[in-house]
This record gives sequence, C-alpha cells and structure tokens, in this order.
Amino acid sequence: MKELSCQLLVIGAGPGGYVCAIRAGQLGLDTVVVEAARPGGVCLTVGCIPSKALIHVAEEYAKAAAAAASGTPFGLHAPPPELDLAQAVSWKEGIVERLTLGVAQLLKRAGVKSVAGWARFRDGKTVEVETATGPQVIRAENVVIATGSTPVELPALPFGGKVISSSEALKLTRPPERLVVVGAGYIGLELGTAFAKLGSRVTVVEAEDRILPQWDRELTRPVAKRLETLGVEIILRAKARRLSSDATALVVETAEGEERRLPADQVLVTVGRRPLVEGWGLEELDLDRDGPFLRIDGQCRTSMRGVYAIGDVTGEPMLAHRAMAQGHMVAEILADKPRAWDTRAIPAVCFTDPEVVCVGLSPEEARATGREIRLGQFPFSANGRAMTLGADAGGSDAGFVRVVARADNHLVLGVQAVGPGVSELSAAFILAIEMGARLEDIAGTIHAHPTQSEAFPEAALKALGQGLHV
Amino acid sequence: MSEQKAYDLVVIGGGPGGYVCAIRAAQLGMKVACVEKRGTLGGTCLNIGCIPSKALLQASEKFEEANHSLAKFGVKLGKVSLDLPTMLEHKDSVVDSNVKGIEFLFKKNKIDWLKGAGRITAPGTVEVDGESVSAKNIVIATGSTHVDLPGLDVDEERIVSSTGALTLEKVPKHLVVIGGGYIGLEMGSVWQRLGAKVTVVEFLDRIVPGMDGEIAKTFQRVLKKQGMTFKLATKVTGAKTKRSGVTLTMEPAKGGEAENLDCDVVLVAVGRKPYVEGLGLEEVGVELDERGRVKVDGSYRTNVEGIHAIGDVIPGPMLAHKAEEEGAALAEILAGQPGHVNYDTVPGIVYTWPEVASVGKTEEELKEAGVEYRVGKFPFTANGRARAMNSTDGMVKILADKATDRILGAHILGPEAGTLIHEVVVAMEFGGSAEDLARSFHGHPTLNEAVKEAALAVHGRPLHI
Repeated sequence: MKELSCQLLVIGAGPGGYVCAIRAGQLGLDTVVVEAARPGGVCLTVGCIPSKALIHVAEEYAKAAAAAASGTPFGLHAPPPELDLAQAVSWKEGIVERLTLGVAQLLKRAGVKSVAGWARFRDGKTVEVETATGPQVIRAENVVIATGSTPVELPALPFGGKVISSSEALKLTRPPERLVVVGAGYIGLELGTAFAKLGSRVTVVEAEDRILPQWDRELTRPVAKRLETLGVEIILRAKARRLSSDATALVVETAEGEERRLPADQVLVTVGRRPLVEGWGLEELDLDRDGPFLRIDGQCRTSMRGVYAIGDVTGEPMLAHRAMAQGHMVAEILADKPRAWDTRAIPAVCFTDPEVVCVGLSPEEARATGREIRLGQFPFSANGRAMTLGADAGGSDAGFVRVVARADNHLVLGVQAVGPGVSELSAAFILAIEMGARLEDIAGTIHAHPTQSEAFPEAALKALGQGLHV
Repeated sequence: MSEQKAYDLVVIGGGPGGYVCAIRAAQLGMKVACVEKRGTLGGTCLNIGCIPSKALLQASEKFEEANHSLAKFGVKLGKVSLDLPTMLEHKDSVVDSNVKGIEFLFKKNKIDWLKGAGRITAPGTVEVDGESVSAKNIVIATGSTHVDLPGLDVDEERIVSSTGALTLEKVPKHLVVIGGGYIGLEMGSVWQRLGAKVTVVEFLDRIVPGMDGEIAKTFQRVLKKQGMTFKLATKVTGAKTKRSGVTLTMEPAKGGEAENLDCDVVLVAVGRKPYVEGLGLEEVGVELDERGRVKVDGSYRTNVEGIHAIGDVIPGPMLAHKAEEEGAALAEILAGQPGHVNYDTVPGIVYTWPEVASVGKTEEELKEAGVEYRVGKFPFTANGRARAMNSTDGMVKILADKATDRILGAHILGPEAGTLIHEVVVAMEFGGSAEDLARSFHGHPTLNEAVKEAALAVHGRPLHI
C-alpha cells in the first residue's frame, strides 16, 4: 500500500476545500487534497455556477420570447425564438469544464498534491483513499474536513425516475412539459423560474405559508409577483405525499387537508441540503456534533486536536462563500497567522427574478435585539437607471433597497434588496457593514449617476428623514 | 409696482446640481426657488445626457445581443428588426417620467419653479424674464454645454452634438465620432450596435484621456474587436456638407499630409465647457478662471457675497453625481451645517459594453506624484458569474499604497463595472485597505468576487488565478 505524509490534508475539493488548499500551498504548507469527483465541488459542477448559466439562458430566452410575442418598448421586433436546451447544457458544461480544470491548475500551481478517490478516516491523523491505482494511505499533521452537503431526500419521494434533485435538473436536455417543484426555498425557485421561462408549466409546493420563508414577505413580494406573471402556480401550506400509483402525478395534501393530484413529467425536490457526514469514517473519530453538523469553534476546530471542519458540513448558512472564507482562515491559522472568525456580514444572494440580497440583520432580527431601529427604503421605480433598464412595475414591485440601522447612533445593522441585478450591489452593502458605517456615512458617499447603486444612499437618507428622490 | 417675491435661496439651473440643492435646502427649512429656462427640469443629464443615452444604450445592447450572442447557448432567433422611431419614443418616455418626477419633488418640497432664463442683476436679486425676485443666497448651477470644433458647424442633422446624436432619424451607414472620450464612445456604441460603421477620430494618441492607461488600452482593444475603428493622433481640420453626407478633412496631430473621410453623420464630442452666458456675472463682478469656470472657495462661495456656484460651472469632473453632492453640501452649509464633498472618491463610469468604471488615482497619476504603490489585477475570464453570463472581457485593477495598503484607486473594465465600483467607493470613504476588501465577504457566484480577487492580488495571493 502506497503511503504519503503531509502537513495538511484537505478532504473534499469544493469551494471550502480547494480555497483552503490553495491558500495553504501559497503559505508554504505541504498540502494534499482528496476529491472523488472533479475539483470544484457541488458549487462548480452541479450548483451555483451551472445554475447561474441555466438561469442566464432562461432569462435571455424569455426576453426574446416576450419580445416576439408583444414587441419591446425599445422598438425591437423579433420572430419567436427556438430553444435548443441540449446546446445550452453543453455550453454550460463547457463552462464547468473550464472552471474545474482551472481549479485543478490553481491547486497544482500552489504546490498542492491532488489525490483522486474517496477518503476514509482510519484515525484523526490517517486517511485511506481508494484511488484508481489502488489504496493510498495519507498521514497528516492536520486534517480539514470539507465534505460539503447533499440534497435532502423525502422518504416518500426517493430520488430516481421522475423524482430529481437540483443536480439532475441542471442536466435536462428538454424542458419538462409539466414540472412540479417541492420546496419554495431559493434553489427550488431559482430552477423553477428558469424552467418556467424555458416553457415548462411549473407548480411549486411549499409547506410554509409563503415563498422564500427565511425572508420577510415584503422583500419577497416582487418575486411572488413575477412568478405569478410567469404563470407559476404556488401551492402554500401543502405537503408532498407521494407519486401517484401510475407515476404521472404528485399527490399533495393541501392546507385544507385534502389530497390533490398535480400532473408532473418531473418532480424536482428541493427541500434543503444536509451535511455529508457519512461514508468517510466519521465514526472512527467520534467528533462532537451540533445537530446534524460537525461542531466547530471560532477557528473551525472540531472536538479533536488537529482536525478542522469547514463549509456545509459545519452548519448554516450553507453557502460557498462562507466555506471559502472558512477555508482561507484555517489555512492561515495552520500557517501560524493570528486569525479567527470575525465577520459581521455574510451575504445571502438569491438568483430568482428579480434577485434578492440579504446582508446583516433583517428588520425583525434587529428588533429582536431589543434596540430601537430605523428603516429606510428606496424603490427602484424612483431610480433613473432602473427605469432605463426597464423597471416598469410600479411602486415597490420594481424592487427596493432597505437599510436597517440603530435608532440611537445610526449604525447600519443590515441591508436588504430586491430587484433586477441586485446581486451585484451586495458587495457595497457588505463593505459598509464591515466598516461599521452609519447612515450618514452611506448618505455621504458619492455614488455614481445614473446607477442602481444610488438606491443605497437614498435608502440611508430616507432612514434619516432626508430622502431626496422620493 | 407689486412687491417682488423674496426667497432664502434662488438656484439658477434645474439640473442635478441645482435641483438637489433646491430640494435639500427646502428640507432644511429654506424658502426656495429654482430658475430653469428649458421647458422641463432635470438639466442636461435628464433631458439630453445621462438618462436618454442610457435608455438608448440599453435598447441597442438588446438588439446587439439578440442578433449576435444568444445562439451560442442555444437560444435561436431569426433576424431581429429595428423600429427606430419606437426606440426613440421609448427613450423620450423614460426622459419624460424622470423629469416629471423632479417636478413632483419640487411640488412636494414647496419649491417654486421660475420658468425662464435667470440673470443676476445685483447681489441678492435675480431677474427671470423681466421679473425680479430677491434672494438671500443665489446659486449658479447652470451647468455646461458642448464645445464646438472650429470649421464644423453643428446643424444637428449631418453634423451633430451629443444632443442630436440622441435623435438621428435613421441609422447612419457611416458615423464619424470626433473625440474619443466617454460621450463619443457611448453614442458611437449605440449606433454601431444598431448597424452603423463607426470611426472614432481622436486628437490624442489614446482614447479616454484621464482614464488609467492600461485600462484604456484594453478598452480600445475590446471596442476594436466589436468593430469600432480608431484614428488616433489625428486632427480634424474641416468638413464639407453635401446632400449625400459629409466629407471631413483631417491630418496627423503632429502635422503632415491631409486626408479625407466620407461619412453620413459626424458627431462632435470633443468636450464640454461651462455655461455662463447671459447670467450677468460680469456686471455683478463674479470672477471666472482662465478656462471660463466660476471661481469658488471650499464652501462654493464666489468672490461676491451671497453668490455661490456648483456643478459643471466650477472646476472638477463634469459629472452629475459630483454636482448633486455639491448641491446637497452647499444647502447644508447655507443652513449652518458642515456640508462636505470628498473629491478623492468621485466614481466615473462609461456605459459601453463592457462598462468602464473608476475611482481614485490612475497608475499614471501615482507615478507622477511619486507615490509608491502596489497593483492587483484579476481578469473576468476567471470569474464564474462572468462565464455564466457569457461576458468575460475585461478586468479589475486595484492600486494600493505600498507601505500602508490604503486603496488609492480602482479601475474596472467589465460587465456591470459601474455597479461593482461602488464597494471600492465605500471602502475608500472609510480609508480602507486592499486587505479590508480582500477579507470582506463577497457573495458567490457574483461579479463582485473579481474585486476581492484583485484585492488579494495586491498582496500577490489571488486564489482563483
């Protein structure tokens, strides 16, 4: 059996794992990363990146189709577009291919050794990997567990056949005629919206009383409105029960307790993700748990000395950028740099139509701290740039930026936004919170005209009772 | 004779500087009037500048996209046809709703709109079309107008200014843009996307003077790839208008053999100059500088007591948001508050595709000032969202002080650059370092991540390149 020893072993080459390995390599640590699939993890291969590519295609197709059907306000006339989803999927695969190859190269350039195969712990310092050329034992001074997460399966609706997870949805080469999405969280709505735009008849089933239940109703209303326009049926307070016996429909239990058949060619189950804690020998380590997750401290240490954990396996929010930041931090800690988890703002970005961004505290969370707060909200319908981009919906349905601040000293606690393209406004929100900005700071920062970014200082002015453009 | 109306503040000019000044002053309790001779409020920016040009840029980009970039990812479209009158109407309706919005804001804030041309007849007195009003304070916010080129008479049909370029009745076969600044490149992009062949003639040996040299060079390469032709270091000496079009004569800037260039339409976009005619400035003794701009001190006071000036008529970048900030700051100063504008963090944006945005110092400026700095760069080809949007031209470039790591400038060429720049603006307002950018969260997958990577690259440790 081949043996290898190193200073740092990273298990899993998703965003958390590969960033950790690259940073460790940059800092001169002798690093090995083990990954059974392509580097890049869920995010690059079946998550963030391919879904954004599909969303982009769907958006462009829908715009072209709308232009063909009813013309554009811009005076462009187009014949109805044709969709070749197979080509779109292969274009998307091309992107995934380039990015995963890119990650492999980056690892190599940072001096990281990549081992392809499935890792299994023997003990806290030793891992055995099943590789194509036989078993490989790796001994390490420190180990980082970055095994990520996997879609939650409903016992009554196991994956397979018509029942698919987000991974399979991204590979469909034809839009299903009738798609039922179970779960109105961000993954379900992102994909549901994309397929609705590509021509599927989409029904979304959600157990809670609203879509995107982790966010407030006001923030998600423009999304609900848009889904309605796209003809997506939303069934709230309903539970998915089973596939019908002939497998042509999903049977749900409605709020009234009645059974209803929803004809479906595909059923996409997006009811959440769970940490991947089995199959790699966790039982050999007996690490402390935090619910289903691995328990970590402020430096991502688990309960066993020399064993760290990062990313989705360590808890919410299960987001690539959290995993990357953790990976980055752990590598620096292992290189003896003074680092600890000290972030005030982890953004949550939802690529629905329109997009939704949440940074810091929501109004509700801020009120829950017991402090008095001030809110300022500015609608994109009063923003010149948004108008030139075609924000035609009236009032707050065109989206808005909302700032949450302390009433006493105006410290900005949170920023939320909904509207076209707001994902790219998020970094400015984050910076403001990380820098400890007050409302006056945001209001006094020059934002270029005409941009959607102007809505940010306007919202701050509004909170100060000095709104200029509304 | 009826008693003349008395105001705390009279603002001459209803553009972004003027109307913001008026609104802010009214909020602070002043009795305010704003003089505007154009039939609508909003100034150059809303009527014949930023807003209508952005409406056309957006619409023409859709046209370009529909014809050229969708097939790559499986959205197949037949020939898309253009109905130019409708496109222009759309632009007009965007302008209309914007300017009406300002009118509404005036009503809401109880600001009187004095329609007509304003003239300062004495300190404290403004005459609007023969009627005088008195003002404790007067603000000159009359903005700027385009610069003419000797030998080329703008008729707004064959030879047009940026105003005429917004209303061409048909797509020219060949459009020559004189001046490689942002206005010329934006309007050139519009007509090129709609089908014109576009040649940009620039006197200097580079486009967008003042922009970071490396970014400008890359920008030119990207525009060239899109089909734009450039004639740099070239001077236009004259034009002959015929029924079929215009023949321009030009020669190398350094002198040399003259040549002719035929085209249908010429856009003269060689710059803008302060608009100070007919205001009575000479009579009341308001001093101008050698370039015809109103001289002001740090509190926007001219040399005449009670007369102030903001925006394009005073020195500084001629940008709507600079004027707006000055307008708000001046209103606060007049109300006894400490109004202030930070000129080190004024962002600038070119709305081509990809966009170009910058804030702070360029590499050239730092070199000239002898400041030691570090550079961090990151290309959009290595950004996942840019790939997923099929838009990977360009890069982020961040300049930071070598000793302190303080961010000194940022220059972005790429998709949504005008949006991405704002996180750097916020960071610079706080005196942030490249490390502050690098260590802050950036949502994944967003274009913002390219900014973080460029900040990491300042320290030689980008993760994704």
